[in-house]
Amino acid sequence: MLTDRRKELIAALVLITPFLVIYGWMFVWPTIQMVTISFTNAPLIGKGDWIGLDNYRALLADPVFHTALWNTSYFVILTVVPGTAVALLIALMVSRLRGWLQSLVLALFFLPFILPVTVVYVIWDWLTNVRFGLLQGVIEPLAGRNVNVWRTLPWFMPGVALITIWWTNGFSILLFLAGLRNIPRDLYEAASLDGATRWQLFTRITWPLIWPVTVLCLTIQLILQLKIFDQVYLFAQGGRTRSTMVMVQYIYETAFQRNQGGYAATVAVMLFIIVAIFSVLQFQLLRMRGAR
Amino acid sequence: MTRTFRAALLSSALLAPGVQAQEIVEWWDFLGGGDGVRMKQLISDFNAEHAGEIQINATTLDWGIPFYTKVQTAAAVGEGPDIMTYHASRIPLAVSQGTLAPITPEDLAAMGLSPDSFAPSTWEAVNVDGTTYAIPFDTHPIVLYYNKDMLEAAGLIGEDGLPTGLDGLENFNAALQTLKDNGAEWAIAQVTADGGFAFRTIYSLLCQQGGTIGGDGDWFPGDSQQKLENAVQVIADWVANGYNPSYTDYPTTVALFTSGAAPFMINGVWEVPTMTDLAARGELFEWGAIELPVLFDRPCTYADSHAFAIPNNVGKPPTAEKHAAVLEVIRWMSEHSLFWATAGHIPANLAVIQSEEYQTMEPQATYASLIANMVFDPKSIHAGVASALFEEAGNAFTAAMNGEVDAATAVAEMKAAMDRL
Repeated sequence: MLTDRRKELIAALVLITPFLVIYGWMFVWPTIQMVTISFTNAPLIGKGDWIGLDNYRALLADPVFHTALWNTSYFVILTVVPGTAVALLIALMVSRLRGWLQSLVLALFFLPFILPVTVVYVIWDWLTNVRFGLLQGVIEPLAGRNVNVWRTLPWFMPGVALITIWWTNGFSILLFLAGLRNIPRDLYEAASLDGATRWQLFTRITWPLIWPVTVLCLTIQLILQLKIFDQVYLFAQGGRTRSTMVMVQYIYETAFQRNQGGYAATVAVMLFIIVAIFSVLQFQLLRMRGAR
Repeated sequence: MTRTFRAALLSSALLAPGVQAQEIVEWWDFLGGGDGVRMKQLISDFNAEHAGEIQINATTLDWGIPFYTKVQTAAAVGEGPDIMTYHASRIPLAVSQGTLAPITPEDLAAMGLSPDSFAPSTWEAVNVDGTTYAIPFDTHPIVLYYNKDMLEAAGLIGEDGLPTGLDGLENFNAALQTLKDNGAEWAIAQVTADGGFAFRTIYSLLCQQGGTIGGDGDWFPGDSQQKLENAVQVIADWVANGYNPSYTDYPTTVALFTSGAAPFMINGVWEVPTMTDLAARGELFEWGAIELPVLFDRPCTYADSHAFAIPNNVGKPPTAEKHAAVLEVIRWMSEHSLFWATAGHIPANLAVIQSEEYQTMEPQATYASLIANMVFDPKSIHAGVASALFEEAGNAFTAAMNGEVDAATAVAEMKAAMDRL
């Protein structure tokens, strides 16, 4: 019995070692490096001198960092909850369909998700082109003039948020659909026999039972959207990048454009801390609510 | 580098390479557009002519920061190519990063070139503190494209068949008004959604007033700040007066010109093939391109140069044979840059410009006069294409050109941002 247990342990160790080695080498070690570099004035390539907390002091007083922090938060507010809500709505509608029609509609909603960000950018840049864009037909009556969405500051973040929801929603819809299919049909039948209304069916059965999936969606979305970069970078190119800056973009710009590796690592450490805190907080909070 | 090594290098460059084994020259460039097609042609011609001796193995990478980052990281670990294209404006930064190997006077002699082979400002742009880091292949300035049919109707074509009456800001603006009065939807198309791109025009107009952009600590020497405001104001006025469309991006700018909606366009010479191709298919009006008119005190046009550079591959210096092969590649390309001129670029090799074939190539021969009046990017690690300076220009000029902030505020903000670098 004892030897069996030891054998099992050895087997387990052998099985997880490749993972541990790769994880340690590819994730843990670079993270330690990142923190170390953030205390130096290193360029992008090569070593720098130890300068203690200077980078952190400079960062806290850096107006562009403040803008990036605010823009990232604003983007998260615009996308995480609204995006998840839209996904749930679409999933509820899709789940009412049957057979090939359901597959077709689901495919239509999922299609944008498989597009690379550059394609998403080209499509929407074309649609919103200030002179020839199809969407100007909608924008002009609303704003009273043609608007270059990507060069008008109040339009920028909501615009990117809308596109991001359109682009990434397919994945959340899939998760919700899987969750909805897991709810036993007899619950609805029993409730209907007892005279429950549609709204009651949703609030008393669907919503509580789908909650774990909602938590998962919200958490994935939060982490993903805190790391927003590509869309903002592409749409803002050549424009007022300092006003539309987000955190990861700032890391990229300081490291690759300004050759300041140490400072870029400092921004990265801050983002790492923020993502870690938010993920833990959100997951705990939502889990508590779900357990109640 | 020892003397013997240099001697070996030189002699191998002079010797016929036929007796040696075939050298493979790894080549990286960032030429993806119409000029990329022409470069591939040149490379295949070179390979055909040097069969059994030297073969270029070319890779085309993404333009801009991705290219320069890859080169920097690859050279730092000795994995860079043997030769690469490089923007002259990016050389100061590359030198500070130790990415480029110097090109010695002996190398230059081995290629049969000298500083006098190039326009002085172009040659100056590839040198840092007296050391040469690249051989210029072309210069690519911005020019003024014009729709000859529309200009003729507005009486703006002179007896020599070229646009006339455009010198001086007042005259130029009057010409724009005339074109609008004559029914043009827009008078001029200049990119207004991308202040980094518009930097080329604004910097030209700054130079036309005798203003300069300096370097760290003194970005706008003398009264250059005021002159930069004037330059920005020129485009802001065009937009405010309805001559130039607001918030217009690059593809739209080209489309407005080629569709006949705007009789003028300020853009890089690299759009020449677009016009040539459209005209060849009979889908374009009579067109031409000229040096930017003198809107202020003297002629001056922004230019950059595609140059050939040799990366400083750390721990892996090239063999003498490889180095000689690389020099042969540069020499051959420079000599055959006439074909490159069909992409609009002005060959850097003056002998090619003076050739009869080039002098009959239009509109290239017309705008080539501008090489006497070029201004390159300031020599700073923060300047050059896709640099911090371009980024700050994007922030400041995009807002100012479209009337969101006034020119003075935008330029002051730009100065503050540059001082923080």
